[in-house]
Amino acid sequence: MEGTEGWVDISVNGTPSKPLPERFVVAPATLWFDRFMNHFIKVGGLSIIVAVSLIFFFILLQILPLFRGARVQEYGSLPVPPGDYVLMGTDEWSELPFLLDTAGSLHFVDTVEPDGPHDRGHFVRAPAFLEEVEAAVVRYNEYQARLAYGTVDGRFAIVDVKYRPTFPDRGGREVLVNLEETPLLSIGREGVALDMIAYGDSGARKLAAAVQQVDGRYELHVVSLAQRRTLLGPGELRVDQAYDLTDYLDGEPAHVVIPSDADALLIAMQDGRVRYLHYDGRVFTERQVFQPFADLANSRIASMDFLLGDVSIVMTSVSGENRMYSIYRDPDKDMRIWGHTKTFASMDHAAAFYSAGMRNKSFLIGSGRFASLRYATTKQIRWEDELPFDIRLALLGPRYDRLLFLDAEDTLHFYDLRDPHPQAGWKTYFAKIQYEGQAEASYAWQSTGGRDDFERKLSLVPLIIGTLKGTFYAMFFALPIALMAALYTSQFLKPEIKRFVKPTMEIMASLPSVVLGFLAALWLAPIVSNAVPSVILAVVGVTVSAYTFGYVWGHLPPHIRLRLKPGYEFIVFVPVMCLAAYACWTLGPVMERTFFLVTDPSTGLQVADFRLWFPTVTGLGFEQRNAFVVGFVMGFAVIPIIFTISEDALSNVPDAFRSGSLALGASRWQTAVNIVLPTASAGIFSAIMIGLGRAVGETMIVVMATGNTPVTELNPFTGMRTLSANIAVELPEAPYLGTLYRTLFLGAFVLFLMTFIVNTVAEILRQHLREKYRAVE
Amino acid sequence: MTANRDTPTRAAAPNDVQQRRVAVSRSAAATLEGVNAQHIQVKDYSFFYGPTQVLFDLTMDFPERHVTALIGPSGCGKSTLLRNINRMNDLIDGISHQGDIQIDGSSIYDPYLEVISLRKRIGMVFQKSNPFPKSIYENIVYSLRVAGRNKKSELDETVETSLKAAALWDEVKDRLQESAFSLSGGQMQRLCIARAIANRPEILLMDEPCSALDPIATGKIEDLIHDLKKEYTIIIVTHNMQQAARVSDKTAFLYMGQLIEYDETEKIFMKPSEAQTEAYVSGRFG
Repeated sequence: MEGTEGWVDISVNGTPSKPLPERFVVAPATLWFDRFMNHFIKVGGLSIIVAVSLIFFFILLQILPLFRGARVQEYGSLPVPPGDYVLMGTDEWSELPFLLDTAGSLHFVDTVEPDGPHDRGHFVRAPAFLEEVEAAVVRYNEYQARLAYGTVDGRFAIVDVKYRPTFPDRGGREVLVNLEETPLLSIGREGVALDMIAYGDSGARKLAAAVQQVDGRYELHVVSLAQRRTLLGPGELRVDQAYDLTDYLDGEPAHVVIPSDADALLIAMQDGRVRYLHYDGRVFTERQVFQPFADLANSRIASMDFLLGDVSIVMTSVSGENRMYSIYRDPDKDMRIWGHTKTFASMDHAAAFYSAGMRNKSFLIGSGRFASLRYATTKQIRWEDELPFDIRLALLGPRYDRLLFLDAEDTLHFYDLRDPHPQAGWKTYFAKIQYEGQAEASYAWQSTGGRDDFERKLSLVPLIIGTLKGTFYAMFFALPIALMAALYTSQFLKPEIKRFVKPTMEIMASLPSVVLGFLAALWLAPIVSNAVPSVILAVVGVTVSAYTFGYVWGHLPPHIRLRLKPGYEFIVFVPVMCLAAYACWTLGPVMERTFFLVTDPSTGLQVADFRLWFPTVTGLGFEQRNAFVVGFVMGFAVIPIIFTISEDALSNVPDAFRSGSLALGASRWQTAVNIVLPTASAGIFSAIMIGLGRAVGETMIVVMATGNTPVTELNPFTGMRTLSANIAVELPEAPYLGTLYRTLFLGAFVLFLMTFIVNTVAEILRQHLREKYRAVE
Repeated sequence: MTANRDTPTRAAAPNDVQQRRVAVSRSAAATLEGVNAQHIQVKDYSFFYGPTQVLFDLTMDFPERHVTALIGPSGCGKSTLLRNINRMNDLIDGISHQGDIQIDGSSIYDPYLEVISLRKRIGMVFQKSNPFPKSIYENIVYSLRVAGRNKKSELDETVETSLKAAALWDEVKDRLQESAFSLSGGQMQRLCIARAIANRPEILLMDEPCSALDPIATGKIEDLIHDLKKEYTIIIVTHNMQQAARVSDKTAFLYMGQLIEYDETEKIFMKPSEAQTEAYVSGRFG
């Protein structure tokens, strides 16, 4: 191949042939260039495949972490002075945890510098009032880092553990702590020790509850606290109202809890019943009595604690069943009551420890050596294990990055928790989930909310439905128009008119979709919503006028009909169509006044308004920016594509087929439908699929003209949110590599899969059609 | 389409040639007695593509149940004339005509005559076989289906008679539901003939029906034409002088859109009156 003169030397039996005349010699440059281009094209083709695969793998790489469980690893342990510790708390970074002993003193453990020179390695702090009176009971609210002390003499005080990070000059971070305590306030019977205490503080409203045992009988006392604000700052905290709720105790109480909103009191009895008392600021009313473990042999509630947000309670039975109750508005009773929302995998024993996450709806629960990290919303076990020691106390780090365990030998174990996407999972994205506050499971997408403890709702189902809805309505408009237009242009219209019709349609395809979206949202949507009956009438009217015109024209005497050459009928039809459209537009309000009447409930007058009539009659919503408008405008984005490609396909049908059909006495319409259309079906199919792809992926029009409500209904008069619009809308809000960020990539992946499946099926069908209707060569 | 489908028929080639010779002598003996000699009348007919005139004042009659061949060099207007008889040129833009063509005395340009019904009366076979991308069966019954005749028994009968008339029945009777594209080139052209006569027209127009076929397939078509003329008035355009001589009873020689000579085939080929005709048929120009 490498002949010096660029000539391929053909030799027979090794003997060189005689040199060839120059005119037969191929220039080396020609060969070189040919070979180069050959490889160049190969490289180009391969690069495209590689690039597409890389994009695919990149997306995959972004979404895979969503489906990984939590990774937990011990990274240290620290002996603490022996003591009778009852609860554990920590700062945000889990650097300075404290252990609370039965006397009420807080033993702080410096985990950063356990052997440090100053006295911080291990130090004890206690509220000042403990010098005066002994503590009988303490309750800790992790989220607010707030301790509620009940004393042996029937008083209580609130102690805030104030962690304060400082950033000293030598670098790093140093966490300082001090205790802020309220004065002792009396509750219930004076001089009687508190058995239980509960405290809820929403800022505006403060509620404390205490259980006391008086002569073998349990009493329940609640006080509301008031703090008057003065010019010199917050005033003195004092008891505002005292309530004796002993009447609600018909047995021995097991647990008493108050949510942080301080608007309720939940009392669990030893027999497993829970009483829900609602507090409206003045009085307590019993709203509900429920028994979470009524179906079990022993229905006693072994543990009962709030999940982040204090609208769900995680409970375990004595046998280790783990259930969650949440408060939500019952549509039948029209008030917020508690209902069983989740059942978790049961454990072998009742929970001995519980710690709710402060960043999400996770909780750490277990007993003995067994610890389990669960995610409430998805009921998923993020991690669970038998630890090599008996767990006395456990704590889930506030940043959801640490697990702290205190074992029976007074050693504090630190575990590193890596679980960046606790909420993620197949269930979150594709299954119905009952979120807190919802009366039933649903597919919901709501990625941002107003509160810190707001939980993201990340179901992709509304987005997939939205995508399909948008595509459906777009194709609903575009397909008939585009295909009929293509058939008309290629088979019936005169070529000289086609010469400018086709480029005009192609210019339409180049209209930026942002312009279409803008027009749809600000111009078309208001017009359509004001005149829905007119629009519906026009759609029907124009179609009917076309059929009627065709029928009448076909029955006109030939001497009238033949004044127009075949192919120029549109000259007569266009005015007829415009007239029909105008008539329908003016008749719309008449129809509205006749059929779409609603009675105004306030005045009793009849109002003719489709926008009010539709929701009243169907029970479905009506929005100005709706699928109808989007379908119409997106149809305009899709029509030119489908039109151009299918027109090409139809025009490329060999003339021999048309002539053959016409020569056999078929009409132009019969020829078009029976011969041309099937023969071009493969090409038309491609056109539809490309149009479909455009509609599925279309973003700007949908973002601007749909209202972006992630609904799961196919009602044409409400909006939707598509996968692509969702990515466009949410990506600026999504923290890099966060759950939402990766979820958006998952949305992209689903979109990719959808188009991939549609295209693959389409290609197989197309090949089949092409084989079937292949023209003879 | 593929060559090996023709293999079985190739063995019969010598016999074909013999038959064809017989056909020539028979057609030479044909007369015009007892038939309507003016089945199709072309009267002072001129035809224009836009400003270009392609046919000049043609006047000629085509006799019933005879084969008339139109010969002439490329671009002489013979195909145009043929395609005007069933108004297939209507599809082309900017055409116009003067004069008239009449079938059985009525003009094909009568505004009260539907062009569709005209075409039902006139079958046409094209230069390149153009079966539809449908089954053999559906190809044949197409003209019935578009006329709204869907009765199964009628369709079946039509398929059989048409295919038999086109001498294709024995070859395809067991695979009527297969695609028409599975046939060989010659079979496809016979299928197109079968399709053209399925609606039993009066007239059959053939536009160089054998130009894309091998000699054996051509032989079969020529035999077929000979059989078909018992029922149909056939006009055939051909470039093949031997073919014109073999199959036709009358031959018209057109040159530059003018009718130079129109007479019995034997006369045109043996002793033409015009020098141009003689030059053309003897292969001296064209």
